[in-house]
Amino acid sequence: MISDNRISKVQELVYEIRVGDVMQSDVITVAPETPMSQLRGILKKERISGIPVVNGDRLAGIISIEDFIKWLADREEDCSIAEKMSKNVHTLYADEPLTHAVNMFQLLGFGRFAVIDRQDKRLLGIITKGDIVRGLLKKLEIDHVEGEDIYRHKVSRFFDNILADQVVLLFQYDVAGHDFKHAGEGASRLKTTLRRLGLAPQIVRRVAIATYEAEMNLIIYTDGGKIRVRVGPDEILVIVRDSGPGIADVEKALQPGYSTAPEWVRELGFGAGMGLCNIKKCANKMDLMSSVGKGTQLYIRISTNDGAEREAV
Amino acid sequence: MTIEDIRRILEAEVVAGEYLLGQKVATVCGSDLMSDVLAFARPKAVLLTGMTNSQVVRTAEMADLAGICFVRDKRPGQETVELAESKDIPLLTTPLSMFESCGRLWKEGFVGGSEYED
Amino acid sequence: MKLFELVQKLGLKVRCAETHLQHEVSGGYASDLLSDVLANSQTGDIWVTLQVHQNIVGVASMKDIAGIILVNGREPNSDTIEKAEAEKIPIMVTEMPTFELVGKLYNLGVTGTKK
Repeated sequence: MISDNRISKVQELVYEIRVGDVMQSDVITVAPETPMSQLRGILKKERISGIPVVNGDRLAGIISIEDFIKWLADREEDCSIAEKMSKNVHTLYADEPLTHAVNMFQLLGFGRFAVIDRQDKRLLGIITKGDIVRGLLKKLEIDHVEGEDIYRHKVSRFFDNILADQVVLLFQYDVAGHDFKHAGEGASRLKTTLRRLGLAPQIVRRVAIATYEAEMNLIIYTDGGKIRVRVGPDEILVIVRDSGPGIADVEKALQPGYSTAPEWVRELGFGAGMGLCNIKKCANKMDLMSSVGKGTQLYIRISTNDGAEREAV
Repeated sequence: MTIEDIRRILEAEVVAGEYLLGQKVATVCGSDLMSDVLAFARPKAVLLTGMTNSQVVRTAEMADLAGICFVRDKRPGQETVELAESKDIPLLTTPLSMFESCGRLWKEGFVGGSEYED
Repeated sequence: MKLFELVQKLGLKVRCAETHLQHEVSGGYASDLLSDVLANSQTGDIWVTLQVHQNIVGVASMKDIAGIILVNGREPNSDTIEKAEAEKIPIMVTEMPTFELVGKLYNLGVTGTKK
């Protein structure tokens, strides 16, 4: 089975890999003066859906299969590709991190981008969503041995989801009980990742605070547990699970100032009976389920769309 | 107002992040309970506290605080200092008590982060 | 400055020992750590804290604290109130956080310097 730390590995790679590493550099191009009537043959022969139009070594535009179909449908006279191509071409620089490419695909909904050199603006290649997935897989295979097929499938689906603006990120980590020294490390990594994803700072802050408090509760009261964070387009869901000891009186536990924390915890500045209230304050919705001897599950939902009105948190 | 202003008013010593003294400070929060800080401190607040463990720095990181000033000459351990430097959070220590520190900063025009403020 | 004057000037709400507000307040101490208050507070201080459990009364009584003010809208537990009544330690509450409350106390002349 694929584990979530692999998924977060994908996340890291999106920042490490450059556009130039995964683009196709062996690109078919056409000259601007090529007649439209010749385009069918080129598109068919090369089995591609779009071709950069190049004047010398400079990018002049992109001509796509859609442009060709439109030209056919309009039954116009033959003309040069330069007249029908999209001239206002969005490009990527070869030295940009892959995450920029992902964002551009997401933002503009295009199937491909031309990749140019930052300095001399020369056309270097072309990049598609498929190139990104393939490039990531190639990198990941270095430290990946088993379960290749499942893995490939999951990663590419995960990536399709990124592009389709569905599930953006899954993040999971274990928290050891009573390990005060390392408390907050998971929440800290999560915060960094959410920032990189470009979420509003006040949303990131609320998720970080809620997750940190939840992590602290696992450390203080349990033998450890798991925190799983799912970042969707509209909502961030943090699920916190442990396997005991459970909360005897949930209603009481939610009262500000109610605490069963031992003295050592209080002397460290926690355990004053504010943790769950704090989480609730940060959340749009919080659900707490617990059974004594079995464990506790906490669901924290934070909407990514209402940053402004909740800034006071 | 900046961290440097806090340092001057509280006669404090810089323990970490000398290069961050120019960082802007919006409000002040005085507390020894980190959950309270997480609940009430505003972004860019400076935290006055008697606690010196590394969770104080974690709290500052999570809540986007501008810096921390330890009261009563409390000094953090190496671990806390290192974490603060890695997160770009300046640390100061003042010989004054929490009460005196709050009083002096209030007199100098610093404000709290309360929603109940007039 | 007497305790009842502070109550009036700052609009504090008194939760117990209302008949013991004539104590003179000689200084202030702000802390949420009981051990710290035990070690460093002075007789006659007004103590500003977030802690609400009954141990605060024991500490206040041991150190001859003039009174306790709970900040950020925190309310004392019922056993804390009971114990404070018995020990004649007034407990007051305010919505203000520590920084603002102490700032206002400071402006009224209550300081935190060692005497």
